[in-house]
Amino acid sequence: MPQSPSLAASAPPPLFRLFVGRSEFALLVALLVIIAFFSLASGTFLTVRNMTNVLGQASLAMTAGIGVAIVFISGEVDVSVGSLVAAVAIPLVTIMNMTESLALGVAGALALGLVVGAVNGYLAAYAGINSLIVTLGTLFILRGGVYLYTGQTAIPDDAMLESFFQIGNGRILDVLPIPAAIAFVLLLVFAYVLRHRPFGRQVYAVGGSPEVARLAGYDVRRIKFTCFIISALLATVAGILLASRLGSAVHVAGLGFEFQVVAAVVLGGVSLSGGVGSLFGMALGVLILSFLSNGLGMLDLATEWQLVITGFIIIAAVGFDEVKRQRR
Amino acid sequence: MTSETLPARRPGLLVGALADKSQVVLIGLLVILCVAISVAAPQFYSVDNTIAILRQCALVLIVAVGMTMLLIAGEVDLSVGASLAFTGCVAMDVTNRTHSVTLGALAALAFAAAVGLFNGLVVTRLRINSLIATIATMMILQGSVYLYTREAVQNKHQLDAFTAIGAGYVGPIPIPVILAAVIFVLGYVALRFTLFGRYLYAVGANQKAARLSGLRAERLKVIAFVITGLCVGVAGLVLCSLMNAGQPTAGRGFELTVIAAVILGGTSLAGGRGTLVGTLLGVLLLKVIDNGIIILRWNQDLQMVVPGIVIVLATWLDIIRRKADAR
Amino acid sequence: MRADPLETAKEAAVPALEMRGIGKRFPGVIALDGVDLALAPGKVHALMGENGAGKSTLIKILAGVYGKDTGTIRVGGRETEFRSPRDALRQGIKVVFQEIALISEFTVAENIFLEEYPRIAGGSIDWKRIRAEAAALFQRIGFDVDPAAKTGDLPVSQQQMVEIARALAHEARIVVMDEPTSSLTPKEVELLFVVIRRLTALGIAVVYVSHKLDEVFEIADEVTVLRDGRHISTKPIGAHTHDSLIHDMIGRRIDNLFPRVRRHSPGKAVLTVENLSTDAKLKGVSFEARAGEVLGFFGLMGAGRTELAKAIVGYDPIRSGTIRIDGTPLVPHDTRRAVGLGIGLLTEDRKTEGLMLELPVLQNMSLASLSAFAKAGFVDEGRERSAVQSFVDRFRVKTPGLGQAIKNLSGGNQQKVLLARWLMRGLKVIVVDEPTRGIDVGAKSEIFALIDQLAGEGLAVIMMTSEMPELLGLSDRIAVMAEGRITAVMPRDAATQEIILNAAIA
Repeated sequence: MPQSPSLAASAPPPLFRLFVGRSEFALLVALLVIIAFFSLASGTFLTVRNMTNVLGQASLAMTAGIGVAIVFISGEVDVSVGSLVAAVAIPLVTIMNMTESLALGVAGALALGLVVGAVNGYLAAYAGINSLIVTLGTLFILRGGVYLYTGQTAIPDDAMLESFFQIGNGRILDVLPIPAAIAFVLLLVFAYVLRHRPFGRQVYAVGGSPEVARLAGYDVRRIKFTCFIISALLATVAGILLASRLGSAVHVAGLGFEFQVVAAVVLGGVSLSGGVGSLFGMALGVLILSFLSNGLGMLDLATEWQLVITGFIIIAAVGFDEVKRQRR
Repeated sequence: MTSETLPARRPGLLVGALADKSQVVLIGLLVILCVAISVAAPQFYSVDNTIAILRQCALVLIVAVGMTMLLIAGEVDLSVGASLAFTGCVAMDVTNRTHSVTLGALAALAFAAAVGLFNGLVVTRLRINSLIATIATMMILQGSVYLYTREAVQNKHQLDAFTAIGAGYVGPIPIPVILAAVIFVLGYVALRFTLFGRYLYAVGANQKAARLSGLRAERLKVIAFVITGLCVGVAGLVLCSLMNAGQPTAGRGFELTVIAAVILGGTSLAGGRGTLVGTLLGVLLLKVIDNGIIILRWNQDLQMVVPGIVIVLATWLDIIRRKADAR
Repeated sequence: MRADPLETAKEAAVPALEMRGIGKRFPGVIALDGVDLALAPGKVHALMGENGAGKSTLIKILAGVYGKDTGTIRVGGRETEFRSPRDALRQGIKVVFQEIALISEFTVAENIFLEEYPRIAGGSIDWKRIRAEAAALFQRIGFDVDPAAKTGDLPVSQQQMVEIARALAHEARIVVMDEPTSSLTPKEVELLFVVIRRLTALGIAVVYVSHKLDEVFEIADEVTVLRDGRHISTKPIGAHTHDSLIHDMIGRRIDNLFPRVRRHSPGKAVLTVENLSTDAKLKGVSFEARAGEVLGFFGLMGAGRTELAKAIVGYDPIRSGTIRIDGTPLVPHDTRRAVGLGIGLLTEDRKTEGLMLELPVLQNMSLASLSAFAKAGFVDEGRERSAVQSFVDRFRVKTPGLGQAIKNLSGGNQQKVLLARWLMRGLKVIVVDEPTRGIDVGAKSEIFALIDQLAGEGLAVIMMTSEMPELLGLSDRIAVMAEGRITAVMPRDAATQEIILNAAIA
């Protein structure tokens, strides 16, 4: 978890603990090992083009992962993001087709995201329904709704706005994919919020011990509610980026995306039981899985291997983490 | 002080009765639905359609029996969908190679049970939250089934006995329904009358208390995972026989349907509470909704929307009801 | 810390806080029945009473954790309602809870400012100020705690100091301390008293909850005594003697609280523990317990009593040492074999380690002996039911039926069910950890009688307790623990409070 800056200030802990105690360090090493391995194994892996491509691909999970991580830190779960990324594309593309305005389309998408987040948050935080059930429910409802609305086909983007194309496919200075830049900025913003705004600390406190948080005068339910809204809005952003890359609102977009994101978040050291984890770790989790899948693809290993290896890595990483925690 | 004053509530309100009460809601819903659909579409109320509904229930119910036990023990398994598909492929492949339905079936059961054992060991030994552990298993299975077979494993043996598992009848009753009924009864007896069943409730209700009382909590959980695996094995066999092929893509989203049915039936995600009768009602309710949507010629995509709403509403009602009871 | 002296002077005539006729009822227990409490600014008001007297409930109502059922609360003369802890905090009421209420993942400094983070322009948290002010605060009150340490890594006593410091970090009108000294050393207690005196000099009203008489006589101005959820007396401390205070707290019940009926004649050693150490706490613990005796273990918070209890019943892993029941070595970390050999634990933490809250009395009581009712794996519910019923009758468990969910029973009845869980199983050694925690006085004496009876029937009873009367009233022999070691073992007749406390602090 992010040590508050006070750690650095007085009485720095031994070098050993500063690194080994932080799971992010292990993740960083893992990421570098993966990159080094594939660079040696494949000539085309360590190129600017490929690296930036991976960053572009990773940006969707990264964006949605921020929100899911925040919900996890608050002690709840959100698995509705997989359907939400597909659902928000519908108002986005439909409105753009009608009005030729990207801004209105994005507003429509965000509005839908806000409603979904509010429903998830209300049912989980205020009505007190287990958040896994709530968000599984919305996962079903949204996917079914998308199928119903689209009649199981994609809605093409007829407006063909250049700006819409650019947000998913453009590159800054012809190098850095715009989605990666967006994800990076969001990551910085929310990492700042979690470390340096009272709200961020309250999210950790609520996840760490709801009872203590209540005694400290926090409105536990409102904080959790807000986390669900944030998660839904960030999934909406991911959905907009995805729609731009696909050039349409695709009904099957994001199938299984929720599992990818949850896997990355957990791999990144964010605990399911709440109160522990950092966005930096989450980002490393996403990058590890993305580079792994890209590298395995380069080695002409069947894409299926990626799933298998990812699965084992999650078990190994989380298991290692848990066993380590038991020791202490 | 009269500290021993009993709470101001009706005496004799047993937990058993509580469970029954939530089942009354489900039965009521089921009856209302059946009546409404019958009025709108008379063909709903026919022997053929009833059997069709039961057949659709069978697959879900078989796995839901294991899943109910697992949830009662306080764990969950999201890998059942992926395991279902893989098991089907294994069953068909082994039968193709050996021309023996028995060996095919045994292979399917052994494979699915092994997946359950793996899940159980990962969850209890590495102490990984079962939600995460079984998502990982799901990924592993989804990937490795393609490594095992790129396409559907076709039926090359043409053994009648194999086809009968999914498509056969005994009298008017489809064999899958019989299989489901047998597994349901076995599960019911195990949960209701045996030491093992009682221990599962105890472990799910309070694992620490169970351990302090001399129960082997972790071993019980592993067994629950393996039982779930065996149920998946049977279901995989049925599915593969029904489709007359081992489909690596089958079973997507199946895990969610199963869990939805179990939760709808009143089994708690927190462990320690739930009944198989509730699960049966949950499965029936979901499948009657499915069937009604088809019979009324509504858009079939509603089959995803309606269960989602039903699950959330049912859980919400349950919370409200329990709050009211506590007063 | 800061309060406008003018304003406090104006308010001096008005009580800082006035609670009138406060009533609170929980399922199965009336916790408070028309209790009054009035606090004068700048005074220390001690709140006394036995466990279960209602002190904690009253404080939790004051802190906004529980809502009251009846009565009124006035702060500075104005009637108010506390719907949540936030409301109470806004009124300037700071509570130091007995259970540590800190986020263990946060640093000490952050925990101190949890209620209100200092901000810099723009709204970011002012970490620099948090560090500086936390350090200054500790220096001012003389507590030796590293503000940069992760709170969860600190020993309990230091966490308690953090709790106290936190209550002082912000402006307060009323500071409530619920047993603040339970794990402090005498030197730290002295520091705390200096702090309290400084608070009262500023016109802050302090509520001091404790059952340590010496402390109360030293620091308090007034004393309110609660018993069985009722208000017994409020007097200036000068009007009390030790005896009158004890009399108010205990009433006449002291004579029959510990009904010793057995003529104990301890038999051979049933449990032998040699050189037991764990990674967490215990260091070379050796002792033996004999059939037919109550061996009481005393220790301050964090001394290692619960750790010892969990290790010897095979629940927690051990690093080294041996545990023998009747000469048979117990396999560590295996409760099943431990129970098989005849040792079981009545846990201090009923909710998380003892009860299956949602399940009925029947299931809860028969849990450990279920296999005895089973034939070929099937449970004979008729036999189970009649066995449970006979224990319900014998122990006088008050429940409307065996199917009643155990969460609806009172603490005392829950404890009886858990005791019966072990008696039904038949044990040689029973370890009872804080057997009367959260149980009201009426039920307490029944639990004592049961424990006494167990020893009379030839069980070795090992009792972990932090309650001196309980220790002295029930034990045949007394062992004292400090910092994971046994520091003294003595027969009951040789024990005095002073000897025991000295050994516990060592």
